[in-house]
Amino acid sequence: MSNGSIVVLVVIGTLAALAVWRNLRKGAPCSCGCSDEECCEGCCGHAKKDS
Amino acid sequence: MATKIALAGNPNCGKTTLFNDLTGSDQYVGNWPGVTVEKKDGLLSGRKDVVIQDLPGIYSLSPYSLEEVVARNYLVSEKPDAILNIVDGSNLERNLYLTTQLLELGLPMVVAVNMVDVMRRNGDTLDIARLEKALGCPVIEISALKGEGTKEAALLAIGEVAKKRMSERPHVFTGSVEHALAHIEESLHGKVENATSRWAAIKVFERDTKAVEMLKVPTDIVAHVEEHIKDCEKEMDDDAESIITTQRYAYIQKIVGETFKKSPRKASLTLSDKIDKVVTHRILALPIFILSLCVMWWLAVADGGPGTILTDWANDGFLGGEGWHLPFTTHECTADGAYKGMEFEDAQDEFAKQDASKSKWEEAYLEKVNEGKPDGEKVEKMPEKIDEAIAKTIVAKGVFVEDEETGEPKTKECDCEKCTKKREAGEDCEGCGCGCGEPEMWDVDYAAYQKAAEYEEPDPSQFGVWVPGIGALISSAMEKMGVNETVASLVNDGAWGGVATVLGFVPVICVVFLFLAFLEDCGYMARVAFIMDRLFRKFGLSGKSFIPMIVGKGCGVPAVMAARTIESERDRRMTIILATFIPCGAKTVIIAMFAAIFFRDMWYVAPLMDVVGIAIIVLGGIALKKSKAFSGEAAPFVMELPAYHMPTFGGIFRHTWNRVKAYMLKAGMIIFPACVFLWFIMHFDWGFNLLADEEIEKSMLHDMGSWIAWLFAPLGFGTWQGAAASVSAEIAKEQATATLGLVAANMDGASTAAHVSNLFASMSDFPKLAALSFMLFNLFVPPCMVAIAVTFREMGSKAWGWFAVGFQLLVGYMLALSAYQLGMLFAGGGFGIWTAIAIVVDLWCLWMVVRPAKCKM
Repeated sequence: MSNGSIVVLVVIGTLAALAVWRNLRKGAPCSCGCSDEECCEGCCGHAKKDS
Repeated sequence: MATKIALAGNPNCGKTTLFNDLTGSDQYVGNWPGVTVEKKDGLLSGRKDVVIQDLPGIYSLSPYSLEEVVARNYLVSEKPDAILNIVDGSNLERNLYLTTQLLELGLPMVVAVNMVDVMRRNGDTLDIARLEKALGCPVIEISALKGEGTKEAALLAIGEVAKKRMSERPHVFTGSVEHALAHIEESLHGKVENATSRWAAIKVFERDTKAVEMLKVPTDIVAHVEEHIKDCEKEMDDDAESIITTQRYAYIQKIVGETFKKSPRKASLTLSDKIDKVVTHRILALPIFILSLCVMWWLAVADGGPGTILTDWANDGFLGGEGWHLPFTTHECTADGAYKGMEFEDAQDEFAKQDASKSKWEEAYLEKVNEGKPDGEKVEKMPEKIDEAIAKTIVAKGVFVEDEETGEPKTKECDCEKCTKKREAGEDCEGCGCGCGEPEMWDVDYAAYQKAAEYEEPDPSQFGVWVPGIGALISSAMEKMGVNETVASLVNDGAWGGVATVLGFVPVICVVFLFLAFLEDCGYMARVAFIMDRLFRKFGLSGKSFIPMIVGKGCGVPAVMAARTIESERDRRMTIILATFIPCGAKTVIIAMFAAIFFRDMWYVAPLMDVVGIAIIVLGGIALKKSKAFSGEAAPFVMELPAYHMPTFGGIFRHTWNRVKAYMLKAGMIIFPACVFLWFIMHFDWGFNLLADEEIEKSMLHDMGSWIAWLFAPLGFGTWQGAAASVSAEIAKEQATATLGLVAANMDGASTAAHVSNLFASMSDFPKLAALSFMLFNLFVPPCMVAIAVTFREMGSKAWGWFAVGFQLLVGYMLALSAYQLGMLFAGGGFGIWTAIAIVVDLWCLWMVVRPAKCKM
C-alpha cells in the first residue's frame, strides 16, 4: 500500500472515530442536530436542561 | 455563585426572544404558545456571574399541563434569585393575572412590559410610575424583538437581587378574604418558608391539592383552616377558587384602568382581520393551506424550480460532479479545434456522439476481425495498427445516448403535422409509421471513425471560468498522492459520496425551511393550528395536538416534546404517536431525492406526502380514539392568533440557518461515520477479506440485507440494497439517501441519480411504484432512533413506547404494501396473494376508522 493510501486511511479513520467518540461522549446529536450545550430547536432530551 | 434570573410570563409573550437577546443564544422562537417546554439556561452577555433562565410560558401558578408544572415547581421549590416577569403590553389585563401571583412568591421581581413598540404604534400609553406603585415592584418598558430596554431590565433585576429587596405585596383581596388568609398564614407559620407563606396561604385557601402536597402542608392544618375558608365562601356566596380569581381580576382591572390609556380604535376591521376572513374561511381555509404546501414543494422540488436548480448544481457540479462554470462567465469556445464556436453543452453532446460512433465502430471492427476465430484467439482490444482492408468494409450503426441518467438513447421525432399535433397534446406518437420514438441512429464508416477518434473531451475552461467540484478535487488529490483504488473508493463512494449525497439536498432544505420560517413568522402557522382544530374537533381530536405537528415539520424530537403542552394524558400519548407522521426535515431529503429521480414530471407527489401525513394523523387519531385507552372528549384549545406582520429578514434567516446548520452538522457527525462503516461492511466479507467490486455479493452488508430482504419483497424493494437503506434510515432518516447512493454505486449510469434509478429498475418491473413504496415506507415507519428514544421517555413507560413504535411500523408497512400492490394491480402487474392481503389490510383499516366507538369519544 502506498504512503498516500495510508495517509488517507489514517485521516478518514481518525475523523470517523472522532465523530463516533463525540456522539458517544456527549450523546448523539438529536434529530435537530444540536450539541448538548445549546439546543437549536429548544428540544434536547440529552442536554443538561432538567424538567 | 452565579445570580439566577428567571424569565417568567404568559405563553407567547416574548420570553424566548428576550432570552436570546440577553444571552446571545439562538433558541427556537415560535409564533404560537408552547414552544418552550423545558427550562433553558444561558449566561447574560458580558456577565459570567448572571444566569438567565427561560421558563415555559404559564398563565397562572395553578398548573394544568406538564410544562406549566416545570415552571411552577422551579419558581416555588428551587427559587431563582430574581424574577423578570415579561408582560405583553398589548394584553396587559390577562398578563397581570400571573404577575399578581408571582408577587406573592416573595422573590425580588421586576416587571418588563414587552412590545412597547406595538403599544406606541397603536397610540396606547402606560403610566409606569403608577403601575410600579400599584404592583410594589420596578416596572420597565421593553421591546424584546428590537432589543429596546432589555439590558436595562436585566440590570434592574440584578439590582433587586443586590438590594435583597422582596416585592411589596399589593393589596389584591378584600377584607374578609384577607382575614381568612391571615388566619391561614398564621397557622402555616414555621411549617413553610416565611417568604412563600403568603402564596402557600392562598393555595391552601383555593384548595389546590397539588400545591399543598408540594409545600408539604400538614393535613391537620388544612383541616383546621377549612372552617375559615367555608366562612368566607358563605359570606361571598362563591367557592374559594372563584373568589380568588374574581378578586384578582377586579384588582387588575382597577390598576389597568388607572395606568393604561388605550387609544380609541376605528370600528373597521384591521388588516389582520381582513386576511383572517379569507385564510380561516370555513370552506377556503383548507384549500389555502394545501395550496401553500404545494407552493412550498413546487419551489423546493419541481423541475425548473429554485430548489431543483440549486440541488442539480450542488449534486452535479459543486459537490459530486466534475465542476461548474461560474455564472456570467460562460461563452462559446474560442480555441481552435472541433469545438470552436460551440457552447459547452453542445460540445459535450458532440463529444458524446463522436464517442458513441467510435465505440460502435470498434465493436463492429472487433466482431469482424474475430469472425470464425476460436474463443482463445479472439482479439479483445483494438490493435495499434488497424487493418485498413477490413476497416474500409465496416459501416457501424452509431447510437447517441441522450439521457445519461437513464441510459435512454435519443429518439427520432418527425415534423409531420399529425405527429406534431399529437406531441403538442402531450400524447405519444410512437408507432405512427414515421419512425418516431425509435432510437436515432447513423452510419459510421472508417472515415467517420477516424474523425471521431480525433475528438477529445471538451476542456471546460475553454467555455468560461471553470470551478472544479469538491469530489473532483478529492479524486485528483488522491490520484496525485498515489492512493490505491480501494482506498479511493472508500473516500469517493463511502465517506465523501454519502456526505455529498446528503449535503446535495441542502438547497431543498433551505427552500422548505425559508418558506416555513416565513409562514411561522408572519403569523400564518398559528392560523393553521386554528384551521386544523376545526377539522380535528369533528373527529374528537384537539387542535392542540396539531401544534407539535407543526413543530415536527422541522424535527420529530421537539414535536414529541411539544406534546407536553397537552393536559390530557391520553391525548398527549396519542399526539406523540401521531406527531412524527408529518415528514420532518430529514424526511424532506428522501422526498426530494425520489421526486428528483422518479417523479420529475409529477410535481404533486412531494406535497402529497405532507397531505398523506396529515391524513394518517386524522384517520389514525379517529381509529385510536375509538379504543378504550384513548377515548374521551377532545381537550379545549384556546390560543391567541397574533396579528399578521411582515417577518424580518434576520428572523427568517436565523430560523432557516439554525435548521440548515443542524442538518449539515448531522451529515458530518452521523452520516459520515455511518457511511464509512457501511462501506467497510459492503467491501469486506465475514473473514475480513477485501472484496473486488464484482464480489460485493459476498459482503457482510449483502448478507445482512439479504437476511431481512424478504420482509420488503411484498413492498417492491425486497433486495439487500433496499433492506440496507431502509434499516440504516433509523440512524437518521436522510441516511436512506446516503445508503442508496452507496449501494447503488456499482449500477450503470453516470450519476448517483442514474445509479439509484437503475437500482430500482433491477428491483421491480415497476420501478416507479417500488420507489413510491420505498418512500412511503421510510417516511411513515418509526422516526429515527433519537426520536424513538424521546418517544419512550415522553410516553413514561416501555409498554407505551413499544405501542407507539409498533403502531408507526404497522402504518408505514401497510401504506407501502397498499401503494405497491394496488398500484401494480392497476398498472397491469396481475393479482397475487399479496394483492389480496393488501386489499384485506385496507378494508381492516377502513373498518378501524368507521367502526362504532366502544366508548364515548
